Amino acid sequence: MTEDYAARGEILKLARVLGVEPGRLEYLARVDADDLQAFREQVTDTLFDANIAALQRMAMAARLLPGGVLAKIAEKVFGPLLCARIAGLVDVSRGVDVARRLRPEFLAEVAADLDPRRASAIITRIPLETVLAVAKELTRKEDWITLGRFVGHLPDPTVRRALEEIDDPGLLRIAFVLDDKKRIDHVVGLLPAHRLGRLITAAGTDEDLWTPALDLLTHLSDARRATLEPMLGGLPAGLRERAQATIK
Amino acid sequence: MAERTLADQLGGYLPEGIEALEEHERQDLADALRDARRRQAKALAEAGEEGLRYVPALLRGAVRKAVGL
Repeated sequence: MTEDYAARGEILKLARVLGVEPGRLEYLARVDADDLQAFREQVTDTLFDANIAALQRMAMAARLLPGGVLAKIAEKVFGPLLCARIAGLVDVSRGVDVARRLRPEFLAEVAADLDPRRASAIITRIPLETVLAVAKELTRKEDWITLGRFVGHLPDPTVRRALEEIDDPGLLRIAFVLDDKKRIDHVVGLLPAHRLGRLITAAGTDEDLWTPALDLLTHLSDARRATLEPMLGGLPAGLRERAQATIK
Repeated sequence: MAERTLADQLGGYLPEGIEALEEHERQDLADALRDARRRQAKALAEAGEEGLRYVPALLRGAVRKAVGL
């Protein structure tokens, strides 16, 4: 079952990269999640490298312009997709300077198209207030995929603050599409002690959250799973049995 | 002219699970990737000229040269 959950998350992410509806890629549900992730990374790299020479020239030209002018061009002309493609090519200090001048709504759109692996140096230097504003906007848009892609690239204190702003169903959905599932237990460790139990309880109120909750359980350490055992009895039948089977 | 296959577009190698898909499914992925590349190239081409309108006149020549326009 674990692979099935992971494949569903990967299909959502691949659909985002390709700019298509996830339903179109339903036939990928039978492909191994590791193969899907490898394929998504190939597609991402191909798209980012497709116009690399022109993008590099633009990044070079950006050095000649004041930050305010660049921010205006970014929002009015380039739009989120091209900003995302160029972000990994501009000087880090210049990238941070421009990002601080952009509206959180626009930055949230850029974030959706960004490859965090390529822009990590900029992402980690963006001020906390800006990150929180962007996280708030992504939460409002229910863009769990983008939030999940950034968790592995932000410092722990920033992740902790951002998670405070997101409700329990939102956290479950983010964990489900997290890029690096090995980090789930670490990220859960950043939450206040009572929050994990609340997450599982929240899943009981909405059947759409069962799959994300069960997937979360498969990625927790044995010690953390053990703390959840006493509260599984309160879950609705169906979810309870599957949760109990998952944490055994 | 024949469209490039999925493997061609991705440098020749496909993960095993993708390689094992039906041909029409791989073709669908190839079409989606080709469309995404075209959208990106179009956006880039339009942005180059349009962006110059916001560049201060004094810097326009230098920027035009750097961008290769």
